[in-house]
Amino acid sequence: MPDRLSLEGLRILAGAKELVRDVDLQLEAGEILALVGASGSGKTLSARAILGLPGPRPGVVAAQLELCVGGQVLRPYQGLTEAVAAGRPGRFWRRAAQAFRPIRGHLVGTMAQDARGALDPLWTVERQVVEALSLGDSSDTPAAVLGRAGFRQPQRVLGLYPHQLSGGMAQRACIALALARGSRFLIADEPTTGLDPTVQEAILVELQRLAGEGIGVLLITHDLRIVPRVADRVQIMDRGRTVETLPATLLSSSSSPEVRSLIDATARVAGGAL
Amino acid sequence: MKATAWLGVGLLLLVGLAGVLTGLLPEAWLPYDVVADVSPDQAGLAPTAGHWLGTDHLGRDVAWRLLLATRAFVGPGLLACLLASVIGVGAGAISGYLGGPASALVRYLSTVTASIPRFVLVLLAIAINGNSTWLIGAVAGLAYSPAVAEAVFGRIDSLKRADFVLAAQAHGLSPARILLYHLLWVNCRRMVGRHALNLFGYLLLLETTLSYIGGFGVMEPQPSWGNMLAFEFGYRTANIWGVWAPAVAIWLTIFCCGLVSEALAERRRA
Amino acid sequence: MLFPILRLLAVFLLTLAGAVLVIQLLLWASPGDPVDLVPNGDEIRAQLEQEWGLDRPLPQRYAQFLGRAVRGDLGTSLTYRPGATVTELILPAAGRSLRLLIPSLLLAMGLGIGLGFATAGRTSFVRRLAQVVSVAPVFLLAFLAVHLLNELAFYGMEAGWFGRPDWFALPDTDSALKTALAIAVLAVGSGALAEVHAAVEDEMVMLRNAPFVDAAVARGAPVWKHVLWNLLPPLATIAYGRAAFFVGGLVIVEKVLHLNGAGSMLWQACRLRDYPVALGITVLAAAAVCGARLLGDLVRIAVDPRLREAAQ
Repeated sequence: MPDRLSLEGLRILAGAKELVRDVDLQLEAGEILALVGASGSGKTLSARAILGLPGPRPGVVAAQLELCVGGQVLRPYQGLTEAVAAGRPGRFWRRAAQAFRPIRGHLVGTMAQDARGALDPLWTVERQVVEALSLGDSSDTPAAVLGRAGFRQPQRVLGLYPHQLSGGMAQRACIALALARGSRFLIADEPTTGLDPTVQEAILVELQRLAGEGIGVLLITHDLRIVPRVADRVQIMDRGRTVETLPATLLSSSSSPEVRSLIDATARVAGGAL
Repeated sequence: MKATAWLGVGLLLLVGLAGVLTGLLPEAWLPYDVVADVSPDQAGLAPTAGHWLGTDHLGRDVAWRLLLATRAFVGPGLLACLLASVIGVGAGAISGYLGGPASALVRYLSTVTASIPRFVLVLLAIAINGNSTWLIGAVAGLAYSPAVAEAVFGRIDSLKRADFVLAAQAHGLSPARILLYHLLWVNCRRMVGRHALNLFGYLLLLETTLSYIGGFGVMEPQPSWGNMLAFEFGYRTANIWGVWAPAVAIWLTIFCCGLVSEALAERRRA
Repeated sequence: MLFPILRLLAVFLLTLAGAVLVIQLLLWASPGDPVDLVPNGDEIRAQLEQEWGLDRPLPQRYAQFLGRAVRGDLGTSLTYRPGATVTELILPAAGRSLRLLIPSLLLAMGLGIGLGFATAGRTSFVRRLAQVVSVAPVFLLAFLAVHLLNELAFYGMEAGWFGRPDWFALPDTDSALKTALAIAVLAVGSGALAEVHAAVEDEMVMLRNAPFVDAAVARGAPVWKHVLWNLLPPLATIAYGRAAFFVGGLVIVEKVLHLNGAGSMLWQACRLRDYPVALGITVLAAAAVCGARLLGDLVRIAVDPRLREAAQ
């Protein structure tokens, strides 16, 4: 049975406003799922829910999350529905850090959009990789970890500080940190935004390589153009709900109006067909 | 502004009015004689109809002294604010707008003056030049102007490349108008107002501290909230108002300065 | 690494030199004749004028003062302790004052951090209380504390609850309580605590929302190490930003609580119009403030690699 991640029935509130409603997400090891939508559609919120990360108050009020890795099954959101129904969500969230510990950074790695911002500006790359390694029981050296993330000269990069890294290097460093403990799944939140095209290409190639090694990648993006290039499946979100989920190859033949308007807008920006 | 802030404004206006009136009116017109009102037989009285806050341990009326003490710091306080604002805004605006060596000089002077504790500077000044509350106000204002200059400099410097300034220049508005109205009045007036309020509170602190310790500031028999406190110290008088009235007055006035200053603060950009 | 340090030292010396100039300007700009206010000024007028360079233009006076100061000669005391050199008077006093100043600064920072963690950007009763208490001037806090403690002791003694405490009557008797009170009052009063707390809280809120803190949480890494380390540079800035304020407050506290240090010496010198001593202490005060800034900048450079590069 392949490793898989399954999120069902996600509902996120901010006060009385519903930010995400009834969202499902399935990710299998070795596949790239592109999560697409305009800004504010709830993509990042949904992805963060996999890690049990706090959102706006009151945050996640309903979710079923199931991770199957190496035969082990984890259900970290167990108890949430009861706690919310009883009006005491705090009861669940106080134990959340404990429940999600095997997931955060371990089973599921994260790459944030602002790569340089995701690194502690006062620490060297080496110190941060060492910190990531120390949280697990890997016997890898920092240089090996960087090498796996695609660095050709890991020794040189180890002594650098985040502000000395280029955009692409920072992104790779984040990949390294995300996978330092051998994650099976990777959430890549807008990894190509703000990078120049050659670097974007390199990052996408990297993600494909990781998928080839058996890592399930959740690629969040608002840029439809990269989807057919990299993704196996596409899930489109709009205003907090899933509009459609379909194989990437069938994207242009979708009939849903939201998807069509997104495709058309992207085509106009790209100056041609997708 | 919030309701509490308006209350603060009200109190400050009252205090200011009291200070200005008592300061401007000739001594003879005031229905209270500071020097003559010594009646040891009426020492330590609790508040009565004749003495609204009672008397101190020399029988002097606490309420009147409380009121008259305002002239010790209101005038000098306003002087300090005027000096600091004019010099600070002037130096900060010009160096901010022009940039270059002028700004470097202003920043250097500002850092240098800020290195000397203001209190020490004031103490030194009155030791050299003789004791006078107006001198205290003047020196405090001068010593505070670098802080205002820095703040204004920073604001103008960051704004002068803003789009609306470039647009105004493209429209042919004169630099003076851009600087005076668009930059200073629209964008800096709250900030300068806050600094002025803080300075006023600081001057009250300064004057009362000096008068409390004695030898400088306001000396007996002239009343100051500071020397009223010092006077009652150690006397186990029956009238606690002699101690608490000036203490509360000092604390409340400075608190209101801070309150109104906070209310004037621009809302932080989220 | 050497160049940034040298540069900071140069800034320190330049700023101090500028401060001395401002102090000299004060003396020079007085409308009257400073010699007049000295008690026996007329007798030694010639000597004073020569020593202070009052007959010479400002640049020469300044150079003369600076030249002597660099060699450790700040003049001789006139009226405070006639005949003693200023240096031998003020340096031990400064040492005593530092023993008050440094714990007080540390206490203010500690309380600010503690309160910052406790209130963490939310409006709360604790923060309001701290603000309200902190607004009171240093002398007022000292006055109230002394007044209340004395009253308490008096009542207690009269009622027979306890014998005469060793600290009674404040502030005339020296005691550990009085020193502790001085440190506490200096750390809290005249807005010191409120401003330190506000600044610390600002930094902490910014840090909590920083992307790398969020990324650390997503990675399952402990956040406190990152937060504390990243707090160091802004804390250093906050600390040296308040240095001048604390030195000024120290002068007040020493006088109000009858403590023996550079602050109370300054009062006496000013009272007795002993300008060499007063000027000497002022220069020392400026040096302390500049020194605090130097230390703070050194800490920031040591911790933040971006500043190290910018400084080179």
